[in-house]
Amino acid sequence: MTSPLIEFQQVSKFYGHGEATIRALDRIDLTIHSGEFVSIMGPSGSGKSTAMNIIGGLDLPSSGEYVFQGIPTSVFDRAQLTLLRRHMLGFVFQGFNLLARTSAVENVELPLVYRGMDHKERRRRALIALEQVGLKGREGHTTQELSGGQQQRVAIARAIVTDPAVLLADEPTGNLDTRTSVEIMDLITRLNRENGITVIMVTHEEDIAAYGKRLLRFVDGHLASDQTQAKEPDHVL
Amino acid sequence: MFFETAKLAWRAISRNLLRSFLTVLGVVIGVAAVIAMVTVGNGTTAKVQAELSRLGTNTLFLRPGQWGPGRASTEAKRFNDKDVLAIQDQVTGLRAVAPLNRGTATVIAGGANHSSSVIGTTNDYLIAQDWDLALGRKFLSNEDRGSQAACIIGETVRKELFGSANPVGQNIRVSNVSCPVIGVLAVKGQSGLGDDQDDTVIMPLKLHQRRIGGTTTIGSIILSAQDGVATSKVQSDVESLLRERRRIAIGRPDDFSVNDMSQIAAAMTGTTVLLTGLLGAVAAVSLLVGGIGIMNIMLVSVTERTREIGIRLAIGALERQVLTQFLVEAVMLSIFGGVTGIVTGLALAFGVVSLLDVPFVASPTIILLAFAFSAAIGMVFGYFPARRAAQLNPIEALRHE
Ligand SMILES: Nc1ncnc2c1ncn2[C@@H]1O[C@H](COP(=O)(O)OP(=O)(O)O)[C@@H](O)[C@H]1O
Ligand SMILES: [Mg+2]
Repeated sequence: MTSPLIEFQQVSKFYGHGEATIRALDRIDLTIHSGEFVSIMGPSGSGKSTAMNIIGGLDLPSSGEYVFQGIPTSVFDRAQLTLLRRHMLGFVFQGFNLLARTSAVENVELPLVYRGMDHKERRRRALIALEQVGLKGREGHTTQELSGGQQQRVAIARAIVTDPAVLLADEPTGNLDTRTSVEIMDLITRLNRENGITVIMVTHEEDIAAYGKRLLRFVDGHLASDQTQAKEPDHVL
Repeated sequence: MFFETAKLAWRAISRNLLRSFLTVLGVVIGVAAVIAMVTVGNGTTAKVQAELSRLGTNTLFLRPGQWGPGRASTEAKRFNDKDVLAIQDQVTGLRAVAPLNRGTATVIAGGANHSSSVIGTTNDYLIAQDWDLALGRKFLSNEDRGSQAACIIGETVRKELFGSANPVGQNIRVSNVSCPVIGVLAVKGQSGLGDDQDDTVIMPLKLHQRRIGGTTTIGSIILSAQDGVATSKVQSDVESLLRERRRIAIGRPDDFSVNDMSQIAAAMTGTTVLLTGLLGAVAAVSLLVGGIGIMNIMLVSVTERTREIGIRLAIGALERQVLTQFLVEAVMLSIFGGVTGIVTGLALAFGVVSLLDVPFVASPTIILLAFAFSAAIGMVFGYFPARRAAQLNPIEALRHE
């Protein structure tokens, strides 16, 4: 088998020091292969977001090693971590985190701007990504003019426009109603199946977690369980 | 990529247009002040130079002491009658040699009195200055010798003392000297320095020495070269003659000076440059304050946009790219201020210049300089806030409300 996409070797993350030290992650071992769809659950404060930030290269482990495609990331400096994010990872943040007063298409173009891609090509790819998430015709709407579900779609389009190896989604349906949640999950599932994007998703809801083929449960900074889920939800396909 | 950055920066600025304008007000005022001052200064200099050169390029001024801007010449030995005679005899190519003593006195005629400049000289003064008479005649030789009082008055003095009446043949009292008016000078108007040349009384040197100055010496001598004679030759002839007469050892500097108009003009322009430099320093302080204003508002802007910066960093912006973005924004802001300042300054200068009746001489150098300087201010004062933005921790920035 090829080397895993993502590997945690005894990864810990501490906040503070002395008596008050918080172990947000405590010696986690974890391996994720290319093409997987991993759901992460756990009570609030159990370390889910911390793990996502480390996978996403936004944060560094206090100890242990995070290996990406066989390369230990501890050798990376800040700029190299940025390049890892830029070329390999797509983020869908909990609060959408779109630029305000900026049109959908411009939000989606943003990661390509930093790659130095020329305007025409950027626009072309952004429009394709928006079409993929079902927002054809809304390209010119600004963030304020879009509903929550539409904003989340823009965020997903922005995450996938760079053709990332991994899509990281921290509670992507957290602020959405059930119907919209299902639509968003169908979209993410399709990206995983059809585009082969590895998906790692944090959620609070069991039925959302059920979209993943594998479920990790965090408790107090530990990996409490790691199950492969055979059954797929009925409403997909 | 640069175009992108510029577009982004412009958006950020125009989103808060009023705030942006208030932010750069310091820069606007500083730049406007510099531009206005320099432009008015240039106009004044141009006018002074034009006036001075109109006095004639073949005129030389001989004064005791080394002469420069603001340099007094009280200690150096003054000239005497024999110096004048020696120059007349020994220097060739001269059209006029006019000794000149100046003073100020109250001039009285009938019930009216008026304070005016009083010049003691000879008829050569009128030749050297190309000054004609509107009425009457020049001095006669017995008047020149001082045995008979006589005065020629300027138009302003005539108006003040005699109104519209003909003054020729009337008596005036100049500082207790009773003096018949023998002529009236043609109108000359303001000098390059702004004083009224027609506000003058001219009398023979001898009379002036005895009754006004109480001296036998001469303050300065005006020389006028004949057409076609190089002033530089006259200048060096006069210099060597006077060095000899004043017994100045070889290797010692002159204790007098012979300057032509272009040299005097240069010296006067020098004074203006000094003044401009001083006012420039004042402007520099206001630009500094303007720069601090820009830094302040950029820091505010970085705080306000922490979340936006977090998003950009998280999705792949390098520190350098965020730094550039904020730097470009600061530079654009200050250039916006600079350009507004340049336009305001030119408009201001135009107004002042029309009031002063001075030509409008916009200097491209100073405009470019002001532009570059305002850009530099944005660069310098924008750097610190921009670096702060670039070094934000993306996770914390994203959590920021
Ligand atoms: N920047 C931080 N400073 C201090 N403590 C933090 C910080 N980020 C997270 N923590 C702590 O680490 C633990 C794990 O947090 P997090 O990974 O956000 O949990 P989850 O996403 O599972 O709710 C929590 O106890 C949280 O308070
Ligand atoms: Mg969390």
